[in-house]
Amino acid sequence: MKILVIEDDADMREIIARSLRKERYVVETAETYRAARAKAMGYEYDCLLLDIMLPDGNGLDLLAELQRAGRRTNVIILSARDAIEDKVKGLDLGADDYLAKPFHLAELHARLKSVLRRRRGGERLLRCGNVTADPEHFRVEVEGRPLELGRKEYDILVYFLNRPGRLVEKQTLAEAVWGDHIDQADNFDFIYAQMKNLRKRLKDAGATIEIKTAYGFGYKLAEL
Amino acid sequence: MRLTHVFALRFSLLASVVLACWSVFFYFTLMDEVNDEMDDSLEDYAEHIIRRSLAGEPLPAQPGGTNNQYYLRPVSAAYAENRPHIRYEDREVYIRLKKEREPARVLTYIFQRDDGRFMEIEVSTPTIDKEDLRHAIFFWIVFLYGALLLTVVGINLWVVRRNMRPLRALLSWLDRYQPGTKETPPDSRTRIWEFRRLNEAMKQFAARNEELFEQQKTFIGNASHEMQTPLAVCQNRIEMLLEDEKLTEAQMAELVKTLHTLERLSRMNRSLLLLCRIENKQFAETEAVDFNALAESLLADFRNAFAHKHIAVEAEERATLRLEMNRELAATLLSNLLKNAFVHNVSGGRIRLTLTATALRVANTGTPGPLDAEHIFDRFYHSPGKASSTGLGLALAQAICKRYGLRLDYSYEEGLHVFTVRRVNKS
Repeated sequence: MKILVIEDDADMREIIARSLRKERYVVETAETYRAARAKAMGYEYDCLLLDIMLPDGNGLDLLAELQRAGRRTNVIILSARDAIEDKVKGLDLGADDYLAKPFHLAELHARLKSVLRRRRGGERLLRCGNVTADPEHFRVEVEGRPLELGRKEYDILVYFLNRPGRLVEKQTLAEAVWGDHIDQADNFDFIYAQMKNLRKRLKDAGATIEIKTAYGFGYKLAEL
Repeated sequence: MRLTHVFALRFSLLASVVLACWSVFFYFTLMDEVNDEMDDSLEDYAEHIIRRSLAGEPLPAQPGGTNNQYYLRPVSAAYAENRPHIRYEDREVYIRLKKEREPARVLTYIFQRDDGRFMEIEVSTPTIDKEDLRHAIFFWIVFLYGALLLTVVGINLWVVRRNMRPLRALLSWLDRYQPGTKETPPDSRTRIWEFRRLNEAMKQFAARNEELFEQQKTFIGNASHEMQTPLAVCQNRIEMLLEDEKLTEAQMAELVKTLHTLERLSRMNRSLLLLCRIENKQFAETEAVDFNALAESLLADFRNAFAHKHIAVEAEERATLRLEMNRELAATLLSNLLKNAFVHNVSGGRIRLTLTATALRVANTGTPGPLDAEHIFDRFYHSPGKASSTGLGLALAQAICKRYGLRLDYSYEEGLHVFTVRRVNKS
């Protein structure tokens, strides 16, 4: 998998590239609009991670240019501007996803994975161990048998299936599943209650995955 | 107190003092003049009688028609010794013609006849009743004062009102003025130099204010925007470090704490950016947002998240509240108000949410005593001891309300902190 990271901030570029390489992606970087244009037009990439604000141009223009040239590349926009207008414009211009800075690396990986999965086509199911989830129909199956889950339980499971093996911190999970407005909760017992139910249901259904508590501040999805 | 009122009051006070002095002066001058005239005629009368008496001519009979009268009588040498020989007095005299006592001017002479005998002559003429005069003067002065005052104050009020119109226009503009609205002061064409200057100064002030406001907005926007990337870098570096297998649990806990702080910072930053965008009139697309449904889903989440606080939540839906606004902002508004009610609540407290067709009311228990209503909606206004709050939640709610012409008020009623969002009727 070959990814082009277009980002003008050197630190940001380095971190994204390093984190992607760790996941065994092949990573190319570009720091200006011109460099990005040359690379994106000249080579094939599985996905572009595109910063909108570049020193010598606007990332959205690059999107438009790629579209005009008829190059079908997956693009995830990374922007410091969390504005709906930008999001809509970017998605209209053919971007696959939009991620506002600052973001969690785990989130970037999950989005990237989902974009690449869509690119391969067909396979829309999330799979880990003997558990599969169909995000389009809100269905979960264990070894082919349907598993009934509460809404939050389902959201939590899908969140983890998108990030297998990654440490997810409690607060991040709360904000992802319950919403940003949960940011000031000073006690995360409510997650624990949902987690307990979810674990029990997975275990009872004979799933070969488990959401483990990690170091008292987070959770991790692991295959048994 | 208004300028015209101050003017009228000061004028009446000053006028009353001046008029009082003037009336006293008037009375005494008048009395002086009257006495002078009377004394002259009394002297003539007395001299006429004395001359006759000395010449041995018959004395005139008591005059008919006038009420002047005289007494002539001999007195002893000792009596004459002990008294001044000319005396003027005001006293009541019995008038024989009228058979009653009346106030009179009395002149008394003591003179010596050729034969060495002393005679006393007393001539009197009825005079004006001074008490009556004083009353009359007092009455007319008061009347004059009243009439004068009414006219002068009336004329002045009218003149001032007419000429102060540019000032009033300016004042009412100042009342309405809010920085950032780009409203310039009213252009009143006045010939009065002071008002022209004032209007000019106001215009400059407004322009300068707008400029500063714009600069500040741009600065906040740019600053928070520029901070996003470094924040992301810090956060992501820590996340990468957390994946390191060699870390001890204690080290990880430290890193996670740092991450939380960074997240708080970036939340604050996001809120600031959001504020800027609201103030810049972004979020153009609107829809009729059903607040009842929104409240239901948010309350469920918050109840869940704050279950450990055992807060009793009552939702009273008297009607469906639908407001034409951006959905994202509506959610931000309501979630900030509800979050506020949960976060600043006490264990075992209460929250009461009331929805009507025109208003939304969130009442909650919390620290006893009203909050500072002046500053509660200011940015970074913190209630003490709440480290996790960004201090921007209520400022955001306020900005959203302003954007859609809603009113957000705080009050403290029966031990509850109450926030009310009201639709303002646009007439």
